[in-house]
Amino acid sequence: MKHPSFRLALLVLAAIVAVALLFTTVDRPLPEVWEGFVRGTTGTPIAWTGTLRETTPLLLLGAGVFIALRAGLFNIGIEGQFIVGAACSTWVALNLPGPPGTEPVRMLLAMLAGGVAGALWALPAAWIKAYRNGHEVISTIMLNSIAIALTDFLVAGPLKDPKGASPSTAKLSEAMRLPFAFSQGNLQVSSGLLLGIALAVAMYLWLRFRVAGYELRLTGENPTAARAAGVSVARVTMAAMVASGAIGGAAGGIHVLAFEGRFYQGFSPGYGFDALGVALLAAGNSLLLIPAGFLFGFLTKGGASLQVFGVPKGITTIMLGLIILVAAAIRYRRESNDA
Amino acid sequence: MLSFATNTLSFATPLIFAALAGYLSERSGVINIALEGKMLLAACLAAIVGAALGPVAGIAAGLAAAVGLSMLHAIATQTYRVDHVVSGMAVNAIAAGAANFVLLQNRDTALAKAVQLPPLGVFQVLALLSVVVIALWVANCRAGLRLVAVGNDPFKARLAGLQPVQIRFAALVGTGLLAGLGGIYLVANSAGNYTDNMTAGRGYIALAALILGGWRPVASLVVCFVFAAFAALSVQFQGQPFLGLAVPGEFWTALPYVVTLIALALAMGRTRAPGGLGRF
Repeated sequence: MKHPSFRLALLVLAAIVAVALLFTTVDRPLPEVWEGFVRGTTGTPIAWTGTLRETTPLLLLGAGVFIALRAGLFNIGIEGQFIVGAACSTWVALNLPGPPGTEPVRMLLAMLAGGVAGALWALPAAWIKAYRNGHEVISTIMLNSIAIALTDFLVAGPLKDPKGASPSTAKLSEAMRLPFAFSQGNLQVSSGLLLGIALAVAMYLWLRFRVAGYELRLTGENPTAARAAGVSVARVTMAAMVASGAIGGAAGGIHVLAFEGRFYQGFSPGYGFDALGVALLAAGNSLLLIPAGFLFGFLTKGGASLQVFGVPKGITTIMLGLIILVAAAIRYRRESNDA
Repeated sequence: MLSFATNTLSFATPLIFAALAGYLSERSGVINIALEGKMLLAACLAAIVGAALGPVAGIAAGLAAAVGLSMLHAIATQTYRVDHVVSGMAVNAIAAGAANFVLLQNRDTALAKAVQLPPLGVFQVLALLSVVVIALWVANCRAGLRLVAVGNDPFKARLAGLQPVQIRFAALVGTGLLAGLGGIYLVANSAGNYTDNMTAGRGYIALAALILGGWRPVASLVVCFVFAAFAALSVQFQGQPFLGLAVPGEFWTALPYVVTLIALALAMGRTRAPGGLGRF
């Protein structure tokens, strides 16, 4: 029990046993369930399309959480920033007038509007953290609940499609949808995914090579040292949180323009919380957001295909929680080795 | 007016349990944002096991689940030294997933009948009593003082011959029991039924109450009552015109969260926070 590597192996083993035990309570034969999981995530072009579709918001939101996390902030509010951004983006995309042919510009403006809405939604939490020293976890969770109530109200009233029965906005025209980056038969890759990958790469370069990126990392790793070195910790905190919210809001806009084409009640199935796991798994390197986002997208899609077999979706949530724990334990072990 | 008072007490009770649960944890130096998950899984198991095997088994299962999650948080943060907020999020995810799993695997039991839990008054008295007992215990007893010592400075506590990890494990058992009671109360309050995501952020609101109460039990109790009064107000006015205006129902739904947020913005920082939060 005393040797750390042994202890770590024990943790991994316990996690695997826990998941295996859960699967034994399932009525259907396991090989059949496993086959369904593989087929539903990567077995066919349609399955790949679905997996990559789930990956897109997770990667984008993961990047949003990541930038705050590097400054030492847990932006659990990315969920609220996502839905507020999506609602605002949908409204702009539906109502911005313009002659045919200007759709790319209008889509860009809609995304920017989403980003601004997300940034504004993160602002209270940023201010409370930077100047009142109130914990961002609590303030952002409160903002999430407020965001849900606000958007529920908006799509049931002012933003509701007058012709529709359900609480949803009208659908965007085909011309106002983000084009596919790749489309062949049933395999479709949204350009939103490319935006996510580009964001992860850009973030890596910015954090590595720009002074502001260095200040942000320094603040996250040691605020006292940052203050001593002349960094304004409050300013960095504000900037990181607001940037994180802007990414979350823009991701909401991208999700509308690329996939959903409208905004409705219950828009996010909890992407924001999974995104926190994506960012934690990526740890210190934003390039790792790409495989981490894919892993979470794969598990989310797999969870949906398991439901066909009568396996509750919760099983993937448990797996994600265990992955976060194990990854964090391994990271601590590595860092204490370095020291 | 009477319904407003009983509603306030009813909303305050789970918050008080959860805030006390957070108190034990954070006073021992363990940041605990996993109160929400503990309450949720306790509620789920209390309702489903209770419906199948009777109320005693249900309460036992709910408490055991909450203590189990609390131990997971303790092992992760103390044995594996995982960041406390990260571990808390992971525990919440595991709890939410487990609640969903248990509910869907036992939907027939859950729908068939409700668990017969003790009357609400029993829980309410227990919650208020717990505040008094814990406040007195921490201020006067050797074990309580050790808890605070470990939470304020684990390093110095170690020099004084205490074992922070052991004390934290013990404190987190208490956290699990109290958070479990908060979850079970929610089931009792909805006629013995569990509904999806029935905690609705109460674990986090309770944590805010703890922080605003300066990590002191009686002050936190007062904050819990203030939050509960706003929740009771929103029930009172839901669907009714307010000062002649048609206020949308969503406004009243959001009100308790808005009040918590504003209270956080007005609070004077974390000067009273236990010094050893998140440290070893």
